[in-house]
Amino acid sequence: MSEHHAHGTEPSSIELLPIELLPIDTAQASSDFVDEWRNAAYNCYSSGHKFCREVCPVMQVTRNETWTPTAFHANVVAMDKGELDIADIAEDYVNCTQCGACELRCPNTLMLGDFYRFRTRTVDLVKAVRTLAVDTGIHQPQWKTWNELTDARSHEPVLGEQPVGQDSVREWADGLDIPIGGDDILFVDCEAAFYRTSVPRAVAQILQMAGHEFGLMQEQWCCGGPAAEMGYRDQAMRFARHNLDNWKASGAKRILVLDPHDYISFTEDYPKYFGAEFDLEIVLVLEVVAEYIRSGALTPRVAIEKTITYHDPCRLNKRKGVWKEPREILRSIPGLTFNDVDHVTQWSYCSGGGGGLAIEKPELTALISGARIKKASELSVDTLVSACPWSERPLSAAGEPENIDVVDIHEMLAESLGITVGGSRGAR
Amino acid sequence: MTSFRYQDEYTTPPARQITPTTIERFEHVFEVDPSLMTDNVAQQVFPNWDTKRIVAARWDHLAWIHTHFADSVISGEELLRSLDD
Amino acid sequence: MTAVLEASIVEQLVAAIAPVLGEANVLTSKTARYSRARVPAPFPVHRWAERVPDLVVLPGSTEEVAHVVRVANEFGVPIVPRDGGTGLTDGAVPERRGIVVDVKRMNLIHEIDLENRTATVGVGISMLKLNEVLAQHGLIYPDNPASYPCSLVGGRIGTSGWSLIGSRYGHSRDLVLSFDMVTPTGDIIFVGDGGGRKISKSSSGYQLKHLFMGHQGTLGIATTATLKLYPKAEAEFSAFWAFDDYDVAYKAVGALARAGIATFAGAVLFDEKKVEYLRRDDEAYIPQPESVKALVCSVGYGNSDEVAAGGRRMMRIARDLGARYMGDEISQGDWASRHDRYATPVHGRTLSGQVALMSWHCEDAAINYTDLPAVTREWHAIVEKLRRKHDVFDDWGMFAYTSSDTGVDYLTEIDIGIWEEKLDDTTWAAFVDAKREIAAVSLKYGGSISACHGSCREGEVDLVPQELGGGYDVMLAVKRALDPNNIMNPGKYGLDRAYDNEGDRR
Repeated sequence: MSEHHAHGTEPSSIELLPIELLPIDTAQASSDFVDEWRNAAYNCYSSGHKFCREVCPVMQVTRNETWTPTAFHANVVAMDKGELDIADIAEDYVNCTQCGACELRCPNTLMLGDFYRFRTRTVDLVKAVRTLAVDTGIHQPQWKTWNELTDARSHEPVLGEQPVGQDSVREWADGLDIPIGGDDILFVDCEAAFYRTSVPRAVAQILQMAGHEFGLMQEQWCCGGPAAEMGYRDQAMRFARHNLDNWKASGAKRILVLDPHDYISFTEDYPKYFGAEFDLEIVLVLEVVAEYIRSGALTPRVAIEKTITYHDPCRLNKRKGVWKEPREILRSIPGLTFNDVDHVTQWSYCSGGGGGLAIEKPELTALISGARIKKASELSVDTLVSACPWSERPLSAAGEPENIDVVDIHEMLAESLGITVGGSRGAR
Repeated sequence: MTSFRYQDEYTTPPARQITPTTIERFEHVFEVDPSLMTDNVAQQVFPNWDTKRIVAARWDHLAWIHTHFADSVISGEELLRSLDD
Repeated sequence: MTAVLEASIVEQLVAAIAPVLGEANVLTSKTARYSRARVPAPFPVHRWAERVPDLVVLPGSTEEVAHVVRVANEFGVPIVPRDGGTGLTDGAVPERRGIVVDVKRMNLIHEIDLENRTATVGVGISMLKLNEVLAQHGLIYPDNPASYPCSLVGGRIGTSGWSLIGSRYGHSRDLVLSFDMVTPTGDIIFVGDGGGRKISKSSSGYQLKHLFMGHQGTLGIATTATLKLYPKAEAEFSAFWAFDDYDVAYKAVGALARAGIATFAGAVLFDEKKVEYLRRDDEAYIPQPESVKALVCSVGYGNSDEVAAGGRRMMRIARDLGARYMGDEISQGDWASRHDRYATPVHGRTLSGQVALMSWHCEDAAINYTDLPAVTREWHAIVEKLRRKHDVFDDWGMFAYTSSDTGVDYLTEIDIGIWEEKLDDTTWAAFVDAKREIAAVSLKYGGSISACHGSCREGEVDLVPQELGGGYDVMLAVKRALDPNNIMNPGKYGLDRAYDNEGDRR
């Protein structure tokens, strides 16, 4: 770990730290990879029904079969047969937001995944291919830079040239009087902590209003999830180790999570990294808040006269099955006209912001978020409500020309609770 | 409200044999007898939340398919009863 | 085996096509080509490399398709049309390599005519996505194959597809009113009933629509199609009944299909092997008593009052034959899962009962009602022999689906699991032989080799001339007339024999 982390300082000029290229044997690594993924690959390849195709956000806007989950699995079979190698396939796997639609819609998951305890795992496969690429020295240029900067700053460079780091990671909370440490720790993802600071401010004040005691981390680093998604697994594990050690050192029992991407990291990646050592409770703030509304601890009273629809964040809806609570929260807000689209239809919706796509291929993200906004536009709404900070930047950009405002569900709830949120919805 | 705890998610409930090749760990959720997946295909590590997520998504999907093709579904049970009226 | 095109030829093709289609739509990468080599039908994985195209293009308009076809004629390079790539007879497989013309980008809805009830669409659209839009107008395009969530309109035209609810709404040939088509020489023609785009019945001129549907891409590439729309059904009725005896179930499916119920959309007979197979992993059938030996399902769609009346009549017919209704939960759940329950490799079992990841091969035929029991027996015997000889095959049972509203003929299918990972030349040859034997049984009983998928795969394709007789000679003459250079999807349906240079001109 670089000493920038230890001292929590930002380098005055950005110096890219070299990512260590392990002297790894490509043939051996590829062979290990194929051994691990052969059955999963055949489970797709030998069915070939492609039910994933029309729910895949990348496929829907490109119509290019090379970038389908089906092709991603077929490539592994081709590697097994000696027809393709990692250099042939690596770049294709950029074209995925890891939204999870394909693997859920796949009959191998949806009809029989639970029965056989064997389901389609496209997201894990994409991560594994990206990891194999990185491990064998094949880098995507933007991802390489992004992860080097993240490594240097302990947070993702979500503000571009503007610095992010330990000395500013809690700035979003100015004036809110949130302690450090405690049983419950609120974890704030990089995008919300530095870019859309109105989201953590709304969350913190909602929890305070409900009387929920919580604190912030002593030294919070990026969750490591984005690095894992882009194939920089060793870095991801180092970041995860730091966060876990920091939680344990402060005696934390429960982590409150406001960002769906963090929720995936903590409930899927960390358990894989640490096994039973990972003995903290992970709780999604949305679910906590919905419970407070149910119990009467929170009652939204300020009418919001807007016509909205809700964007199901992929990592909540598709990957975690969380879709009821956000609707419950929105239906509790007076004044709203809610033109909902059901959560199954939304298996095929995505903002395009996930899986590092916006970093390496922003033009593709823009196509996907544009398509999502078009769906909202057809409902004649003025506002699209999301529950994922990472979706809100691309959706806002796509919404602007359509006059559709993009609001985070926590921001909207806070407003209806009479809270003056503060913070920024983007510009710093 | 659900929450994630490692112990809760990675401790598999005990199995009840349903047929010679089928077991049940969660109510109304059948699973293959794991002894059938030893030679060619190994089962994956499956946290409990994932089983529940898939089962719920399946029923949501089936309901969606009905709605996709028709506005309502007529009950055969009711029609059968009406035959005796 | 066709040789790979020389790199310099590929470069020339790219140079000729890219200026019109755009560079981003001309793909030469290995992954682009390998991922367009197969369809869901079982594939000799060990010979994958023989079927990899030289080039993939993604045209965005009819004119762009025509340009690609003209370039292919100029260079003498094969063209293989590909849309959804979900077909089961290898229509989209580039058996002679060449240029795969992938038309999925052409997926726009050009017009919805609410008064005449038609939609005009690019053929790259899926029926599911189209119907999400049509539902806003209370309409539906009811072409409903097992691959409904992923198959695309263009493939339905190329295959002349079969629909699960075709007994009520007709099949693709009835539902596609007309289309634009690029011929094998790169000309753009219009094909419909007569000359109108939205005409459902014409007597003017030759009836070309049938000719240009179901040719498996050997006669050209459809690009834009006008489709017939129906009101989205107010109500659906689906009933599943259990039987202790196949013969009674067989009687019941016949009685239901012959009952003349206007909302009747289809009936399905599940044989004993199919029930046994479903007990492996289908939550609806695992708890069923051992006495259950066959199933029948019958469905209706339409206006609520009419569906209820028709459903009531179906319930009475089944009850009078001693059927046990399986309840609403199974009936509704199982019908809704029909699209999803087919092609899942974990269904496979070796002889020892171990799970093995097998590809689903559905060998289908059109069989008259009276011949279903005999065909069922003979087909199972063929697959059983195959399975005993090579433990990479598995019998997944049989379905018989009504194709029409009178019960005259049934899409009859035997589902065979195939462990592709283990395939080699010996097992592949055994499989091809079995397919040929299965087709021979269909012909012996006066049926047709395929009701649904097409019959141009190895094995059954050998019997197509026998099935069609003099009609096959007409096929050869048509192919020769329309595709003088044998550019369009060569190697399919034995059509090479239409050309002098193949030495077998008829």
